Amino acid sequence: ESLSVVGSWSSLPLHKEYEAPFWQATLPEASGGNLQTTVTTHNQMNLGVGEVFRLLGQGVFDVGMTVGDYAVADAPELEGLDVPLVAMSADKAEAAVKAARPMIDEIFAKRFNSKVLAIAPYPPQVVFCNAEVGSLDDLKGLKVRASGRMTAKFLEALGAEGITVSFSEVPGALQKGVVDCAVTGAGSGYSAGWWEVTTHLLPIPLGGWDPVVTAMNMDKWESLDADTQALIEKEIAEKFEAPAWSTAEGALANDIACLTGKGECASGDSRNLVLVEASDGDIEKAREILQSEVLPEWAERAGGDWAARWNQSVGAVVGVTIKTN
Amino acid sequence: MAETAFNLLKRANRLVAISVGVLFLLCAGLVLADILLRRLGASLGGTDEISGYVMAIGTAWGMAFGLVELSHVRIDFLRRAIGIPKWRMILDLVSLLALAGTITIVALQCWPVVETTLRNGSRANTPLETPLALVQVPWFAGWIWFALTAWLTFLCALALVYQGNFSRSEQVIGVFPESEAV
Amino acid sequence: MLAFVSVGLLALLSLSIPVGIVLFLLGFGIDQFFTPFPLMRGLGSMVWSTSENAALIAIPFFVLLGEVLVRTGIAARTYSALDRWVSWLPGGLVHANVATATMFSATSGSSVATAATVATVAMPQADRLGYDPKLFSGAIAAGGTLGIMIPPSINLIVYGFLTQTSIPQLFLAGLLPGILLALGFIVVTAFVCMVKPELGGARRTFPLIEMLKGLADLLPIILLFSAIIGSIYKGWATPTEAASVGVAGALAIALLFGGLNIRMIGAALIGTVKVTAMIMLVVIGASFLNFTLSAAGLSQELRGFLEGLGFNPLWTLLVIVLMYVVLGFFIETLSLMVITIPIVVPIVTALGYDPVWFGILMIVLIEMALITPPVGLNLFVVQGARRGGSIAEVMIGAVPYVLAMLAMVIALIALPDLALFLPKAMN
Ligand code: NA
Ligand code: NA
Repeated sequence: ESLSVVGSWSSLPLHKEYEAPFWQATLPEASGGNLQTTVTTHNQMNLGVGEVFRLLGQGVFDVGMTVGDYAVADAPELEGLDVPLVAMSADKAEAAVKAARPMIDEIFAKRFNSKVLAIAPYPPQVVFCNAEVGSLDDLKGLKVRASGRMTAKFLEALGAEGITVSFSEVPGALQKGVVDCAVTGAGSGYSAGWWEVTTHLLPIPLGGWDPVVTAMNMDKWESLDADTQALIEKEIAEKFEAPAWSTAEGALANDIACLTGKGECASGDSRNLVLVEASDGDIEKAREILQSEVLPEWAERAGGDWAARWNQSVGAVVGVTIKTN
Repeated sequence: MAETAFNLLKRANRLVAISVGVLFLLCAGLVLADILLRRLGASLGGTDEISGYVMAIGTAWGMAFGLVELSHVRIDFLRRAIGIPKWRMILDLVSLLALAGTITIVALQCWPVVETTLRNGSRANTPLETPLALVQVPWFAGWIWFALTAWLTFLCALALVYQGNFSRSEQVIGVFPESEAV
Repeated sequence: MLAFVSVGLLALLSLSIPVGIVLFLLGFGIDQFFTPFPLMRGLGSMVWSTSENAALIAIPFFVLLGEVLVRTGIAARTYSALDRWVSWLPGGLVHANVATATMFSATSGSSVATAATVATVAMPQADRLGYDPKLFSGAIAAGGTLGIMIPPSINLIVYGFLTQTSIPQLFLAGLLPGILLALGFIVVTAFVCMVKPELGGARRTFPLIEMLKGLADLLPIILLFSAIIGSIYKGWATPTEAASVGVAGALAIALLFGGLNIRMIGAALIGTVKVTAMIMLVVIGASFLNFTLSAAGLSQELRGFLEGLGFNPLWTLLVIVLMYVVLGFFIETLSLMVITIPIVVPIVTALGYDPVWFGILMIVLIEMALITPPVGLNLFVVQGARRGGSIAEVMIGAVPYVLAMLAMVIALIALPDLALFLPKAMN
């Protein structure tokens, strides 16, 4: 059996350290040579990020992976997978994703004709600022580069202005004040040199955790025999998903150390951004905004009983309740 | 007959082109307004999302105009080397047939995109939440129009060739349009 | 698969099938013969996501800017002003051709538009002052190529888009090589005319007061360039947005110098749509071909092929340069770029070269393609503006400038900082 696999961003550690080895070596070996794969990534194919799961559903390739949030144009209910600032640690984020999994399975089957195999995290999407910032509140009135609808809505509710800038243009935009702050993974910001053009770091997941969904085209999945299906599910859970989650927290600590110079940095030279700790008050306020504005809006966009289901699953894990009428 | 038909087609596409041009100009105005407002500390928001839609719809509808104006690039060193008008004409017809066939396939393959959008009621992954059907339907229609124009042009040229009117057909599907011939 | 693509490309192109269509057809072929996956189902998505892109809106904007400017009469004023400043050099008015082209390059994103603008105003002067047509028209064709090197540049935008390289960095990187190339053209002209004075025209000097008066006529273009580039580097606007500043500036110039009316705007808009459609068909076709090639694993095949050759990075790079020179004889520039980018750029970056630097190197090679026969768009444009005479004259006249470009290629390879100095200094 031959599988064509389209991975997430080829330059990021998730692909290099976990996706590529798993699909190129681990799984084919575990199958005793029954499964063979060709692996590329969606950016190498020049695919629009919103197209990956659409094409997966149409069977253009067999296995696809990208940030779930990229696909919310076709499935607004999917936004509930990654709500900003509800999961402050990797453990919490993992628990939230696990709680959301049955909903995600259903959404992918219905909207994208696909079977979800795994959900792994990108590093939390933290805030780099080229401006004096002491708390979450200080983002008010600033221009912030963020991606994703819910994060943008959250920033709006906070009184900040969301600006779209492509990743490669962010350093220039920060330097010249086109944007004051920008959201990305701490490691990405470190390796892309954002510390050269920023002064402050808020290590809170303002952009959520950008969980990356790995899914297989449903027709392909159903064409596999039960043993193969079981093998794939077991291997991916043990040798891809679990290790990816278990290193997430440590990676964040390391990246923050590298960016701020506080602690051991294993990735290279330390930098000296000002570390802005979010106070409990900040988080409290963020949750208040989420519960009163952002999440109810989402409940309306998603329709159906998604809000209620979210409250019972993810909401219960993270302690947030959407107030619905 | 064939000539009249082609001239009509050309005029229709000219109207389309003017509209697309105005759309581009309006978009430039919008972007400029956004820059100025940003200097004043405000922002329209979403201008680059709108620019993207303008680009998709504008290019789709502009393609057919490019065809009747003979501006789609062709490498013509072989064609140039051929002295006999009849053979040149055959090359032009083959090339146009390839275009019409290919664009028909492209246009038909654009439909599933629109269909998925309609089925999911998709909205852009942005604060504007633009209903994607609103922009993808006109985009799809533009590609259909391109395919239609290509086939109509092909029929006109075929008729002219059949009448033996090579000089006229060369102006319909050759390499340089009448207006630019020196 | 490499052989299939290469042979198919050449065969279909020489049948004179439109370039954009050839790219689609090759993509269909790859899907049919080289992958088990139904890539055709991705066609619609590729067309949508390629054309629905805010970065590309800069293309119609820059085209519109040029279309408006050509219709304002500002080109003739610029030309006569520069004539007063540079015609004392050996070669006389030929230098004004290069200088005017350089100035217009700073506002135009396209080489063909630049050459067309300069040719329209320069050709009547050649007849009047009795110039040998060869070098005179060759200088216009060559000078015009600077349009895609000196920012703004549509080709650099397309390169940045297809390779995900920063467009402002590319613009910065093109500035110094563009100016050096312009100086190179001046030196080559002067040298040729010192060896063979009959190729140039009379050297003329003008009173200082005339020269200074001329400066006023240069002002609009300088202001326009400053507005476009300034708004990018001041951080007021992204490159896309800066194009809209350029459109507004060009309209303002048209208003000041007369010529702004509905008819003119209509003609400019129509021209814009035509050129934009032409560019986008090729870009969309290339995007689809790229998608099929990477799905079929071409990059692995290519890597294997190159490793099999066993060349070191420099030799591989030289092979690539040679390939561009040869393909450049036959293939139109934008097509040459978009056809080769998906295949070549991954190899070059894997060899450890900087993608911004390679973008500039590729632009020089593509400029060369614009003035090498048998297919050289700028040669055709200049020939089109001439009253009679053989195109062979233009081709011969362009030869010295091709040599200057080759020198630039070598300089860029030997001294990558020619391109990378400014982007590094600005960061
Ligand atoms: Na330019
Ligand atoms: Na050439």
